[in-house]
Amino acid sequence: MNRQIRRLGIAIIMLYTILFVQLNRIQVFGAKRLNEDVNNTRDILRDFGKPRGAIITADGILLAQSVPLDDSKRTYQRQYPQSWKFAHITGHFSSVLGSSGVEQEYNDQLSGQTLEQRYKSLADLFIDRDTTANVTLSVNSKVQQAAIDGLGDRRGSVVALDPRTGEILALYSNPAYDPNLLADMSTQNATAVSTQLNADPQKPLLARSYREIFFPGSTFKVVTAAAGLDAGVVTPDSPVYAAAQSYTPPNVLDQFAISNFERETCGGALFAVLRDSCNSAFARMGTEDIGPDRMISTAQAFGFNSKVPIDLPGAATSNFPSSFGKRLQTLRSYYASRGINIPESADPVYVTESSGPLAQSSIGQNDVKATPLQMAMVAAAVANDGVMMKPHVMKEIRDLDGNLVSRYEPAAWRRAMTSQTASTLRDAMRGVVDAGTATAMFVDGLETGGKTGTAQLGTAALNSHAWIIGFSGLPGQPPSIAVAVIVEAQPGASEQTGGRVAAPIARSVIEAALR
Amino acid sequence: MRRRVELGLVVLAALITIAAYVLVSMGSDASVPANIGPFFAAVLALLIAAHIATRRLAPNADPLLLPLAVLLNGLGYVFIVRVANDVRGAKDLPGLQATWTLLGVGAYIATLMVLRRVRVLDRYRYIFMAIGVALLLLPLTPKLGVEVSGARIWIRAAGLSFQPGEVAKIALAIFFASYLVEHREVLRIGSFKFGPLHLPEPKHLGPVGLAWGVSLIVLVMERDLGSSLLFFAVFVTMVWIATERSAYLLIGLLLFSGGAYASYQKFDHVQTRVVAWTDPWQDPKNKGFQIIEGQFAMAEGGLTGTGLGLGKPYRVPKVETDFIFAAIGEELGLAGSTAILIAFLLIVASGLRIAVRARHPFEKLLAAGLTAMIGFQAFIIIGGVTRVVPLTGITLPFVSYGGSSLLSNYVLLALLVRISDESAGAPTRSRPRRQRRVRESEPVVIGEVAG
Repeated sequence: MNRQIRRLGIAIIMLYTILFVQLNRIQVFGAKRLNEDVNNTRDILRDFGKPRGAIITADGILLAQSVPLDDSKRTYQRQYPQSWKFAHITGHFSSVLGSSGVEQEYNDQLSGQTLEQRYKSLADLFIDRDTTANVTLSVNSKVQQAAIDGLGDRRGSVVALDPRTGEILALYSNPAYDPNLLADMSTQNATAVSTQLNADPQKPLLARSYREIFFPGSTFKVVTAAAGLDAGVVTPDSPVYAAAQSYTPPNVLDQFAISNFERETCGGALFAVLRDSCNSAFARMGTEDIGPDRMISTAQAFGFNSKVPIDLPGAATSNFPSSFGKRLQTLRSYYASRGINIPESADPVYVTESSGPLAQSSIGQNDVKATPLQMAMVAAAVANDGVMMKPHVMKEIRDLDGNLVSRYEPAAWRRAMTSQTASTLRDAMRGVVDAGTATAMFVDGLETGGKTGTAQLGTAALNSHAWIIGFSGLPGQPPSIAVAVIVEAQPGASEQTGGRVAAPIARSVIEAALR
Repeated sequence: MRRRVELGLVVLAALITIAAYVLVSMGSDASVPANIGPFFAAVLALLIAAHIATRRLAPNADPLLLPLAVLLNGLGYVFIVRVANDVRGAKDLPGLQATWTLLGVGAYIATLMVLRRVRVLDRYRYIFMAIGVALLLLPLTPKLGVEVSGARIWIRAAGLSFQPGEVAKIALAIFFASYLVEHREVLRIGSFKFGPLHLPEPKHLGPVGLAWGVSLIVLVMERDLGSSLLFFAVFVTMVWIATERSAYLLIGLLLFSGGAYASYQKFDHVQTRVVAWTDPWQDPKNKGFQIIEGQFAMAEGGLTGTGLGLGKPYRVPKVETDFIFAAIGEELGLAGSTAILIAFLLIVASGLRIAVRARHPFEKLLAAGLTAMIGFQAFIIIGGVTRVVPLTGITLPFVSYGGSSLLSNYVLLALLVRISDESAGAPTRSRPRRQRRVRESEPVVIGEVAG
């Protein structure tokens, strides 16, 4: 009998060894897979209904808070007192849709999960303190309100930031949504709202200001001008573009020529063609003076084709073509074959297969697409001596005792152009406000530069996005605000559209920030 | 010496329980429980009472069994307190479990007091059989029996509910040990040829048939898969140990496979269990929900757990009974769940060592059977929770909430302690060689206590 009893012992040890192996598979090796399983709502629900820090604007307006639902403080309701106004910044915190925006980006700090919040002293190992922290944004409620009032019912976006630090001052797009409805404790109600919002063709959940890309149109001419200035092939004095109604790129049929708005005639040196937003001149500049390689490298220096390092989730990447096809011949030999002699240059420009798309790209059409945030950063780089700062909405995070948890230290993202080029462009863009297409952006007592844009949409009715980008500041000081405004799908397509529709919004935003 | 070791370990188990109790309270609402003083006193008093009873009534018994049992009981109680606030309808469980613990320890002491010699039980084998079968059938009586979540294993009378099957398993184990020891010689002889197997005369196969019959009754009429599996495994194991014939394991396996296949074909609830075992992700919101949530809970625990009171074990259905192991895995991590496994292995090791040392075959077989009962039961439910075997609702001995289970397991513990005390009480010095051989072949090496 003893032999059987010993064997029974061995059998039971083996059975328990299987259990131990399986426990390791579940708790250690498979833990990551199980934690990330789609059916596992523990992570999403972990923080839902728990105390959570507030989100506040730079000027102290409460954007999000959690209030206890009962005296026992077991469940908390997330509230957004400003409703839809800041929805695309704060995002939502929902048991159904998960979270977005600042709620997602700074979830660990708001819910008190970071190590430094949880364990500030040895005592914290033993007591359960409220470790949540409040997030203060760089966003200013007055600037945001100016953006809201300026856009009104029209679909579009407004982005304002401080070019010196990258601090976002306003980030708004219409249509928006009310995050309160998604934070409903009743899963049923929240699901109904979420289904409705997702089905809405106007896409109110989409933060168009940084998660959607649009044709930048003529606002992109600032980048083209920067490419020419940086390469030294364009100066304020030369070349002087002959007055023309249109421009036909090499190897492109005349019927596909790039014409000016309403077939106007325009031309001149850099400041004049920027002031009048002269398509024929910029198309020629990009194609024949700058060439495909330098256009691509400058666009990428401005952050096109790169992920924008903003502290909000899901930012869209702006696009510029990364190739214009094979080189066919130098521009000089192209003209020579047509009996025209142009001077030889040390750094020759080549004619490539896609010179038509290059010409269109030089004026912000073709495959060029940018987020409103990206275009605000273009203006900001000009304002900040060519350096593009990392854009951010978080200013600082403090725990409930007021101790600093973290602060966003301004950091350069990339150099878009030389300091000299930026200085020249500032003067050129001020000219656009003083006497060009952006006069509606003028603010008394401030030095403001801008560039309008009217991006034609290939739709049946003549529709276009009305754009403006610009910067402003006190005279003699570095500009302290950069702005981009897009009002989508406006009727008509004249170069005046951007100045007429978008510029007044930019002006009121600048006034709200600097007055 | 043995008793001093036991005292030290019992106090240690009490301290661990009290510390865990404080941590659970701080984890859930950041405060030291208000009743910590009385709780401390009560736990310590209860455990020391159990220890003194052992010291008086079974002075030479194994020193590990009691401390291991009270440690499991204490941790289980803490986890019941932990989930009571978050599980609907569980508010009263901690109080009830405390009462049952008191009754359980009382039953332990009473058993030791009444039963001075285990061999006495041998005389009443048919009474135990009658008691066992009657208790098993009790829930099937109209009016008295109640059905809870599909299984008809409860009786309710005078406001109290009880699972008679838990007590029946001990009565039947006593009957089997006694019956098999008397008939082992007959059962051993293989005069009847069945294919390659040499079997005893079919008439002697009665006990195996009875085991099969009892487990089938439980399986079919009471829908209690876990107990059915446990009865069958324990009884086949006992037949095998008594007869020393492996053929019985084979026959048992064949009968089990046949029964399992037939019940899979015939019963929806068996199919549901099997599907939830093989692929719970097929139906994650219904059939597979409990298993999957249990896995998520344990995965969340990881290596060291979320900490007591800091997890969300209440998301797992039945976490206070069948799935209490998932809660331990979540809040104490792999470290905690492995500690529970080791505690059961140590109980099994002590129990089997007692069996090996027991001098009378009846005591030997009874000790082995009771030990297998605890070992298998813990395996069946832990294996079910971790998806090693299909999940069958059964309690985790000493840990899960459940009065009948706690009470009967303490009686079972007392029987093992009594057998241990008897065999160690009068060492067989006349046969030193044999004793040495026994010592060399202890199934599990644990700290040998020099008596």
